[in-house]
Parts: sequence; structure tokens; C-alpha cells
Amino acid sequence: MMLISKSITAFGSLLLAHACYSAREHSTLQSFRAATSAALTSTPAAATSLPIDIAIETVVAILVILVGLVLGTSSLRPIQWREWAGKIEREGEDGFKDNNGEVNRDYMGNPFDFIEGRPNFVDIRKQRREFTEWVKSQGEQQK
Amino acid sequence: MAPSLIRSPVQLPPAEALATSQQAPVVLQSSPSTVSSSALGSLFSATEKPELWIQYENLILSCLRTGDDRAAQECHNRLVARFGNNDRVKALGGLIKEAQAQNNGELEKILKEYDQMLDENNTNLPIMKRRIALLRSMGRLSDAASALVQLLDFSPTDSEAWSELSDLYFSQGLYPQAIYAMEEVLILAPNAWNVHARLGELQYMAAAASGATSGSYQKQMAEAIKRFSRSIELCDDYLRGYYGLKLVTKRLLKDNTKPAKQTDDEDFSLPDPKTIERLNELATSKLAEIVRHSSAQDHGWRGYDAAEVAAARELLSEDAPSGIER
Repeated sequence: MMLISKSITAFGSLLLAHACYSAREHSTLQSFRAATSAALTSTPAAATSLPIDIAIETVVAILVILVGLVLGTSSLRPIQWREWAGKIEREGEDGFKDNNGEVNRDYMGNPFDFIEGRPNFVDIRKQRREFTEWVKSQGEQQK
Repeated sequence: MAPSLIRSPVQLPPAEALATSQQAPVVLQSSPSTVSSSALGSLFSATEKPELWIQYENLILSCLRTGDDRAAQECHNRLVARFGNNDRVKALGGLIKEAQAQNNGELEKILKEYDQMLDENNTNLPIMKRRIALLRSMGRLSDAASALVQLLDFSPTDSEAWSELSDLYFSQGLYPQAIYAMEEVLILAPNAWNVHARLGELQYMAAAASGATSGSYQKQMAEAIKRFSRSIELCDDYLRGYYGLKLVTKRLLKDNTKPAKQTDDEDFSLPDPKTIERLNELATSKLAEIVRHSSAQDHGWRGYDAAEVAAARELLSEDAPSGIER
């Protein structure tokens, strides 16, 4: 997805640059022609306007760039509470990664976890005991 | 992948706690040992991020759990160097001492230190919470409960403390009090889907403890249905909510009791059997879907706890002996 979006954007930029270049070339040519025709006939030069193909190319280029950029955005976040909460429960960290595969910095899991985890009331001695028991049981399993 | 250090490590399973505490040397090495708190100093030294201090706090918790006291002490030293001895840092220091205490005498000494600090300022929340946790850890439950009630007296909007009170009452089998405290949490955090599920579990256990013949049984079961349904409403595909809903409806269907006519008390009457039947079917199909996707490791279904999924599979296989499990 990333590659497609980037190549479309690059293609659009190329088109836009080409349109700009064409417009510049066109105006140089016009003023040159006006100068020469003024010297020959002494009638004032007709009002110059861009040919329609350059205008179309500019518009198309901008649309292509837009499509490329829109395709490249990361997926939108859910704005409904239950969808967002469901996403946290269902996908965990996977659901909150950006295009580079890094977990979003403001992702914090269920923001109400602390109510049940209660980090300020932690019974550290019990946790320590349980951990040593776990290590022992792991050791026995490996034997 | 090791779990993020920004999140509290208290509820992590042992294996992940070990992985977290093994990150300690890397974090300690990669961040500067002192961060100047003066404005001039901060111009020249590395910029400090608030995440760093949260990381240190969480590292202290998981290192103490895995027995890496040296790293915990180092984290604490850095916090002291940055913040001086403020209440929160003091509470963490007390935590380290608690973890290293060998016998009851030392614990009593720490308790006295806490008391001394509370004499200076008796609304010192972090120290007060540590004191309560220590009392509970030493088995003095009634002291812990009265201290907790005292804390909630001057800080009634502390959802963590209400939840601790609920758990404390629950551990003593005092269901009505535990439910009351959990309801207070719900007032403070009405959108917390896990609290709704927890309250449903408490109601269910209270109902199961009082037995089907007691008068409050139906009322509590109806409340439990309501709580689990609300947790599902707040969170799509909430495994815990559907599990509870299935448990409650299954039991009600097995009891096969007619809802008592309670015309005066509309709120607490059970829904009619057809609705319960449909709720049960809904919960079954949802649980089956969750179990199927998450055991296949489908993309977008990897957030569930493996133990919870296993429990759901067991519950499903109980009533469909030849069916859904895979």
C-alpha cells in the first residue's frame, strides 16, 4: 500500500512539474512571438492565454497527487467508544501501529486497567513469592 | 516482544514481568544518570521526557518482583536525584524496603516509619496507600480496611482506593460491601467496561454464594446480567463480558425458575426466559467467534489473553461436547 501511494504521488508530482514547465515555455514563446510580430506589423499582440491541454494537465496532476496522499494515510481511528474499546480488547497493540510498524506513542491499552491493577496498593512481597514459585515451576518443567 | 515500559507492569504474567525487568540495564545505560532540574542546566543536557520517569517507576515495580534489587535501587536513586524526597518517591523507597524485608520485625519497623511520615502530614496519599497495602500484606485486614475507609473519607474520588476496598471486602467474603465499593468506582468511571464486568462478576458470585433459594438470588442475577450487558455495550467483542453473560444465563436456564413477580420493583426483576435464552445464544455465538479467530491467530484478533481464550473454550465445550471447539 505504501509503495502504491508513493509511486502515485511521485507520478502526480512529475505531471505537475511538466505542466509548470510547459506553461513557462508557452509564455516565453508567446512573448517572443509577440515581440517579433509587433516589429513586423505594429498591431498589439492578442491577449495570451494558456492552451487548454496545459490547464487540464495541471488539474489532473493535482488530483493524482491527492489520490496518492489519501491512499498513504494510516487508517482512521474509531470515534465511537465501543468500537475503540473493542479494538483495544481485540487487537491489542497490533491495532495501534502506524505505517512504520511502531506502536503509537499515546497508546496505553485499557485506560481503566489501573482501577483493577491498583499499582499504588501493590503487595510486592506476595508478587515476589509468586514469581519465585513461577521460576521454580518453570525449572521443573524443563527437567 | 517485551511489553512497553510505559504501562503499569502490575498485572503482567510472570514471563512478561521477567522480560520487562530484563530491559532495566538497557534503559539505565541509555539514559543519563542525572538530569538537571535547573533551567540553565537543561539547556546543555539532554532533554528530559516525562516518559522516562514513568519508565523508572515501572522498572522499580517489575525489578522488585523478579528480585533484581540492585536495578530497582538504581532507578530509585535517579528519581531521588531528580525530584528529591517527595511523597511519591518516598513511597517507592518504602516499597523497595518492604520487598527486601526478611521478617516481621523489619516490616513493623517500616510500618512505624510510615506512621511517622503520616504524623507530619496525615493526608499523604502515596504513603497512606503503601501503609494500607503493607497492613494487608501482613494479614491485618481489619486495620487495613479501617485505614482505607479513613483515606476515602478525605479523598472520596479516588477510584483506585475504592477498588482496593472492594477487593479487600471481597477477600473476606463480604459481598454486599464489596459490591457497594465497586458501585462507587462506577460512579467515578462510568465508562470503564472492565469495572462493569467486575461488578457483574461480584454480583454473580454473591448470588452463587447465597444460593438459589434465597430471596436476593434473582435480584442479584438480574443485576449481573445487566452489568455484563452494559460492559458489552461499552466494548465490542469483550471476551470477559460475554463469558460472564453466558455463565449467568446458563445458570438461570438450568435453574429454570420463573421470574418472581415484582410489580413494585421494576428494576430488579429478571427478564423473561425467552430473552435469557436469546442472550445465552448471543453470548455463545460471540464466544465461539472470538475463540475461533484468536486460536487461528487471525489478523486483528491477537489482543486477547491466551488464558482467557482457553477458559472461554472450556466453557463452550461444556455444553457442546462434539461441537465448536477446535
